[in-house]
Amino acid sequence: MSSNTITLPGQDLGPISSNTVGAGTHIYGDHLFASIAGPVHTTTLQAPSKVPSTLSITRPTGALLLPEVGTAVLGRVTRTNPRQANFSILALGSTGDVVLAEPLPAIIRQQDIRLTEIDKVTVAGSFRVGDVVKGVVISLGDERAYFASTARDELGVVMAVSEGGNRMVPISWREFEEVGGTGKKEARKVAKVV
Amino acid sequence: MQSDRRRLNPPPGGTAPPVFATVPDAKPQRPTRTRKPDEHRKLFLRTGIVPSASGSAYYEIPPQQQQQTGLLVPQRSSLKITCTVHGPRPLPRNAAFSPNLLLSAHVKFAPFATHNRRGYVRDASERDLGAHLETALRGVVIGERFPKSGCEVVLTILDGEEDGWGAGGTEVKGGGWGIMTVLAGCITAASAALVDAGIDCVDLISGGVAAVKYAGRHGGQEDGVVVLDPAPSEHDGEIMAACVVGYLQSRDEVTEMWMKGDAGTQVQTLIDEAVKAASLVRAVLAEAVKDGVQAKVGEAEDEAAMAGSAKEGKGKRRCSGIYEAGHLDDLLVRTPF
Repeated sequence: MSSNTITLPGQDLGPISSNTVGAGTHIYGDHLFASIAGPVHTTTLQAPSKVPSTLSITRPTGALLLPEVGTAVLGRVTRTNPRQANFSILALGSTGDVVLAEPLPAIIRQQDIRLTEIDKVTVAGSFRVGDVVKGVVISLGDERAYFASTARDELGVVMAVSEGGNRMVPISWREFEEVGGTGKKEARKVAKVV
Repeated sequence: MQSDRRRLNPPPGGTAPPVFATVPDAKPQRPTRTRKPDEHRKLFLRTGIVPSASGSAYYEIPPQQQQQTGLLVPQRSSLKITCTVHGPRPLPRNAAFSPNLLLSAHVKFAPFATHNRRGYVRDASERDLGAHLETALRGVVIGERFPKSGCEVVLTILDGEEDGWGAGGTEVKGGGWGIMTVLAGCITAASAALVDAGIDCVDLISGGVAAVKYAGRHGGQEDGVVVLDPAPSEHDGEIMAACVVGYLQSRDEVTEMWMKGDAGTQVQTLIDEAVKAASLVRAVLAEAVKDGVQAKVGEAEDEAAMAGSAKEGKGKRRCSGIYEAGHLDDLLVRTPF
């Protein structure tokens, strides 16, 4: 952990032949240099592999500043229309490890809500405004929003509030039940509790 | 110069600070340069001072000479710069898609920073400083790792270098050399703040300034001596030309150079001395950045240890802003940090 020495940007980390470039490093000429200040981590693959180890540097405040393709994100739905649901990314990581200073806009398109029967899915039956959603970024998207997807079992609505304003708990992959109040069920694309 | 309509403005001719009657035998002594031509003044640099910003730094050159007793007008010059970095943050809605980080640098003198009071609205020299700083930082930031984002670097100069020496409160007239030392300080402070924010940089950029001066007032020197880190109040009326560079030491590259005045045959020497000044500054910069990162790493470890022992509530921590409440509201279960 912190037994690694802190490297500073511009510090030489060795030739490319002995290490490959990882997060927080860059290549200049035939050497690897650090891009951020932090402890250096070496990840080595198993012995039979001849791939050189990867050097990466982690920021003390969290690994990422912006989501990349494949990053799990947590956010809250802000708008829905028949083709897509807009949500604003509030934190990165499947448990929300890195809270963003400024929310980023993102879109879940109708075809990315589920894996199966995607032509029959309705956005209104999967998300409502105000739901907290766990998704994964699939593309940087356009200038307005990232593109995200919930097409996996463990992705989808994590927390939701019923129409009457009461807390709801998930009871199946597509329903939430109201706690207290009328005990009504509401349709959502529910994230599997793992 | 357009008037500032949102505030009650001072008289357009500027205001002069009160001139205090000096004790007859306490003559204000003109500051002189006591250090060697290739010696830099001592610097103070610390990162992580603004918890709500992504990264921040405070840079100061403390005054070199003791204030003479009996005089209220400051005789020595000092430089105090505070820098905050906000980003990478999403671009505004109508901005075009940009595959690289959009960097913008803003420099502002506080109204009380210089002998002649500055206004609240940014004037031409501040915009010029911002343009030079942006040029310097553009060569250092790895922009393609932050698509669709912008980064704002905001510098406030709390105490600027005077252009000359105001003897006992008289008007300071000078050749505008103070702004060159200010730019060198801005480059260094911005570099520290960018690294504190965790934005990918190619190297640490440091700002260095050097000047060519006429023969000294007290004689013994000839025209054209090149000194590094000139304090214009020490060299009042003596500076012929000055040069600021933004220098990357590990690549031996200059990303920004600003030269003013007529250096005659000494142009190359002037640039070399400025690069030497930047190398001296970089040692301080590296130390300060390392201390800042070590403090952050230590804090992150403390929090991980606290989370492991499942303690309730939040302990003492130096907020780096991303843990601020309000973004995930009370409906979400907050993991104890």
